[in-house]
Amino acid sequence: MVAYISMGEAHRRITEYLTRFSDAISSQDGKSLSRLLSVSSDSAVLLSLADALNTFQDANRVIRQSERFSQYGDILLHVFRALQSYRLKNLVESYMAFEKASNAIVQEFRNWETAWALEALYVIAYEIRILAERADMELASKGKTPEKLKGAGSFLMKVFGVLAGKGPKRVGALYVTCQLFKIYFKLGTVHLCRSVIRSIETARIFDFEEFPVRDKVTYMYYTGRLEVYNENFLAADHKLSYALTHCCTKKEANIRMILKYLVPVKLSIGIFPKTSLLEKFNLNEYKDVVLALKRGDLRLLRHALEEHEDRFLRSGVYLVLEKLELQVYQRLVKKIYIIQKERDLNRAHQIKLDVIVKALRWLDIDMDVDEVECIMAILIYKNLMKGYFAHKSKVVVLSKQDPFPKLNGKPVNA
Amino acid sequence: MANRSRQLYQPRRNNSSSSYSSYSDSTQSKIPKACNQNSNSSSIIYSNKTSSSSSKTGEFTSRIENSNHTDGDQDPPNLIGTCPFMCPVGERERRERLRDLAVFERLHGNPAKTSPALAVKKFSRTISSKDMKASDVRPVPVLEETLNYLLDLLHSSDHPFDVVHDFIFDRTRSIRQDLSMQNIVSDQVIRMYERMVKFHIISYHHLHRSSQTPNTASMSHLNLEQLMKALTTLFSLYEVNRASHSASPNEAEFFSLYLLLHLSPDNQVEPLSLWFRRIPSSVMESRAMSFARRILRYYRLGNYKRFISTTEEEASYLQYCIVEPYISEVRKLAVSCISYGGYKLQPYPVEHLSKILMMKESDVEAFSVDCALETSDDGTGKGLVSTKQAVINKTSKEHNKYYELDSSRIERLCAELPAL
Repeated sequence: MVAYISMGEAHRRITEYLTRFSDAISSQDGKSLSRLLSVSSDSAVLLSLADALNTFQDANRVIRQSERFSQYGDILLHVFRALQSYRLKNLVESYMAFEKASNAIVQEFRNWETAWALEALYVIAYEIRILAERADMELASKGKTPEKLKGAGSFLMKVFGVLAGKGPKRVGALYVTCQLFKIYFKLGTVHLCRSVIRSIETARIFDFEEFPVRDKVTYMYYTGRLEVYNENFLAADHKLSYALTHCCTKKEANIRMILKYLVPVKLSIGIFPKTSLLEKFNLNEYKDVVLALKRGDLRLLRHALEEHEDRFLRSGVYLVLEKLELQVYQRLVKKIYIIQKERDLNRAHQIKLDVIVKALRWLDIDMDVDEVECIMAILIYKNLMKGYFAHKSKVVVLSKQDPFPKLNGKPVNA
Repeated sequence: MANRSRQLYQPRRNNSSSSYSSYSDSTQSKIPKACNQNSNSSSIIYSNKTSSSSSKTGEFTSRIENSNHTDGDQDPPNLIGTCPFMCPVGERERRERLRDLAVFERLHGNPAKTSPALAVKKFSRTISSKDMKASDVRPVPVLEETLNYLLDLLHSSDHPFDVVHDFIFDRTRSIRQDLSMQNIVSDQVIRMYERMVKFHIISYHHLHRSSQTPNTASMSHLNLEQLMKALTTLFSLYEVNRASHSASPNEAEFFSLYLLLHLSPDNQVEPLSLWFRRIPSSVMESRAMSFARRILRYYRLGNYKRFISTTEEEASYLQYCIVEPYISEVRKLAVSCISYGGYKLQPYPVEHLSKILMMKESDVEAFSVDCALETSDDGTGKGLVSTKQAVINKTSKEHNKYYELDSSRIERLCAELPAL
C-alpha cells in the first residue's frame, strides 16, 4: 500500500535523498552511500522515499534541477525506478532497474581512486543477488523462464573483474566471489566457480591473507563444500576446518552449516565427532550414523540413511555417507574377531564366512556367503583388513598383526 | 494442429545488455569431460522453471541447466518452420548438383539424383537463426515423420551398422537443430527427443561391442557427446513440462540412464551429489532410479557380486546398454581382489568365478589372460592363481575385450531392437 503523502512532502523527501547521495559521494562516506542503496532492506528511509517517488512521479525533473544531482543522473534515475518498482512489488522491474543503476555506479567506482566506496559495492553485490532471486521467483510464479539470477551472476563477474587488479580495491574481490558462489550454488552451475577460484587462488593478483576474515571463512566454506561434492576429502577437511576455526564462535548458525559438511568428511577419514557436539549444533541426523560406525551396525547405518534421505540428498552428503558402509563392515568383522579372541585366542584370527552371514542375519540383512566373500575381498583389497580369504574352506584368515588398520586421517583407498 | 505446444517466453534483451554478454556461453550444460564444447553461439533457454510441487522442501531448488545447442543460435524463438519435405528444396537441388548425397538418399544408387522421399536435411554447423528462413525449417509434424523414416532405417540390414549410424546420427542432429530453432515444448517433441536418445544409446551399445578401431573410437566419442546433449535437452523439456503438471511416463527411465552414464567420477562434470538435488521426488522413488542408485552404490563400494547379479536380474534394455561397458571394469576389480586377497595355496575355482562374474568358463580363462593373471589346474579343476600382487590398471580401456554376460534373459533382451 502506498501511503498518501502530499506533493510537497514527496518533493522534500526526494530532495533529501538526493542531497544525502551527493554528499556521501563528495565526502567519500562509503557507509552512508551503502545505506542509500540497500533496496531490499525495507529501511524506513527507503520505504518512505519509494512512497514519495510513486506519488511525485517525475523525479527526473528534480534530479535535473541541480548540477549536484544531475551529474549522477544515470545512477539516480535507475535507483529510483528500482525503489519504486520494489515498493509496488514489481520485482522483475526492480531488479532490472537496479542492475542498470549498479552498472552506472561501478563505472563511477572505477574512477574513484581509493577504496572508500567498497562498502557500497558490497551492498550492491548483495542486492543484485537478492533482487535477482526475488525476480526469478516472480517469473516462475507467472510460468515464465527465470533467468535474472543467471544475469546477476554475469554482472557480478564483471564487478569481480573491476576489483581484480592492483590497488586497495582488490580486498573487495572475495566478498563478490562469495556472492557469486551463492548464486552458482543456487543455480546448480557450480562448474562456473572454477574460473573464479582460479583467479583467487592461483593468479598472482591476490594475497589470500589480505582479505577480511569474514570473507575468508565464507570462501573456505563454499570451496570446502565443492571438495566434498568431488570427494576430495583431505582438501575438504582442510578448507572446512579452516572455516570452522576462523568462524566467530558466536555465529552458531554458521558453525552448524560448516559442521554439516565437515562431519561426513571427518567420518570418511576415520574421525568421530562427540555426541555432545552433534547435540549442541542440532546435527542429530548424524547421531545414528556415528553409532553405526562405532558398533559395526550395518542395519542402523542403512536405516539412518533412509530416515534422513531427503535431508542428506538435499545437502549433497548422501553419497559420502553411503560409502561409509565399508567402514561399518570393517567394524563388524572386528567385533566378531574380538569376541572370538575371548573364547579361543589361538584361533580367533580365522573367521568363518558363515559366522559373518549369521551376524548380518541378526541385523536383518540378507547376504549369502558369496556376497560376504566379495565384501571381505574388497575390505582386504582396500586395506581395511589385513589377511586373506580361502574360498574352499569359506574362511577369512586375518593377519596376526594389526588386522584392522585404522584410517588415521586418510580416506579409504579408492 | 491440436497439440499442446507452447512457445516459451523469451524476454527481449534491451540496451544495457553488456552485462549479459560473455558469460552466457559458459553456462551451457556440460558433456562428459572427454568431449568438447564446439560452439561459441549461445543456447536457447528451455528450462529454469522452478517446480515447487516437485521440490523436496519448497525452497527454491536449482534448475536443470539448458542444453547446449551448438546446433543453433539463440534468438527469435518465434520462428515456425514451413518446409513440408524432409529436406528443403534448395538444399536438395544443391546437393544433387554437388553430388553430395548419402547412400540412403540416392535414387537407384545414382550419386547425383535424389527425391523428396529420400533426401533428408543435413546438419549444418554454420547456421545462424538470422539467416534461417521459415521455408528451410521443418515444422514438428514433418520432423516427426522424418524421424520415423530415419529410425526405420535401423532395421534395414542392407548396409553395415556404422554407415547407417552415421546417416541417422547426422540427420537426427539436424532434426534437433530445427526443433531448437523453433523452441517448442510439447509432448510430441519430448517423445521425439526420447526416441533420439534411444537411438544414441543403441549406437553406444553397438559401438562399444564392435572392434575398437580408431574410427569406431571417434564415432563412440561423438555419439556419446550427442547422446549427452540430447539427454540434457530432454531434461530441460521435462522440467518445463512438469511446470504445466504433466509428467512424461518415461522420465524416470531417462533419469536413470543419466545416472548410469555417470557412475565413475571421471565422467562427472557436475558432481552427482549436486545433480541429485534437482531430481523430483517422483523420479527418485521410481523403480528405474532405485535400480540405478543401487548399481551406483555397488559400483562405488566395489560390490562386484551384486553389481553383476543385479544388472542381470533387473536392467531394462536401455539400462543394460549403458551398464555393459562397466562390466569388464567390475570384473577386473573382482579378479584383482581375488588375486590379491585369495589364499595362495588354493587357486580360486574358475567354475565359481564364472558363476559370480556370469561368464562362460572358457571366457574366464581368456579374461584372466587379458588381465595378466594365471590360471592353473590342480586336478580338481582350473583355478585363478593368487599372487598377492597389486593390481591390474583399472582404467586401461584398450584391452577391454568384452565377454558376454552369460544370461538368457540378457541374451533375449539384446536379441531384438526395441521399438523406437
